[in-house]
Amino acid sequence: MPAKDVSSEFSFAAIPACLSGWLVPGLGHFMIGKRNRGIISFAVVVALFTLGIQLEGELFELDTGELLTLLAGLAEMGVGLPYFIIKMMKLGGGTVTSVTYEYGYTFCIVAGLLNMLIVLDVYDILVGRKD
Amino acid sequence: MTSHFLILSVFALLVSIGFALLMREKPRDQVRFALFSFACFVGSAFLIGWLMYPFPS
Repeated sequence: MPAKDVSSEFSFAAIPACLSGWLVPGLGHFMIGKRNRGIISFAVVVALFTLGIQLEGELFELDTGELLTLLAGLAEMGVGLPYFIIKMMKLGGGTVTSVTYEYGYTFCIVAGLLNMLIVLDVYDILVGRKD
Repeated sequence: MTSHFLILSVFALLVSIGFALLMREKPRDQVRFALFSFACFVGSAFLIGWLMYPFPS
């Protein structure tokens, strides 16, 4: 099983780039030399997340007893630093009565999930599964 | 921004770009895939809208 060993060795090397890519969307790609991809990833994720907040979407808490709310919160946390910055600024409380409330949190959730996919893309490139 | 269609279009555009970036390697293929994905998003929204049309609101 030599191939498995190589793969696990590379996965450790991929951790810093993946962590950076999670914290700052697109930074992972930027670090591994895929600058254009990194810049576009950053723009897409941050645009989705910012629009979500502008549309009065909610950043869900993780300490609620409801499973769906917990999952939504985890998905939103996938955005990385922007999530924590908005939380610290006491924004992202959401306005349930707003017409665009559901759109808003959907944008935020999708931004987080998309960033997770982008991080997985960085990992795949670093372990050699993708160019 | 309270136009449902505008919000749908912006969402479709951004997600299509994200998907194209991850699923295709060459810039030309990425543009093609993004356009195809965008058309699918908007087209399916229209289709589902038409299917729901007979139902009372």
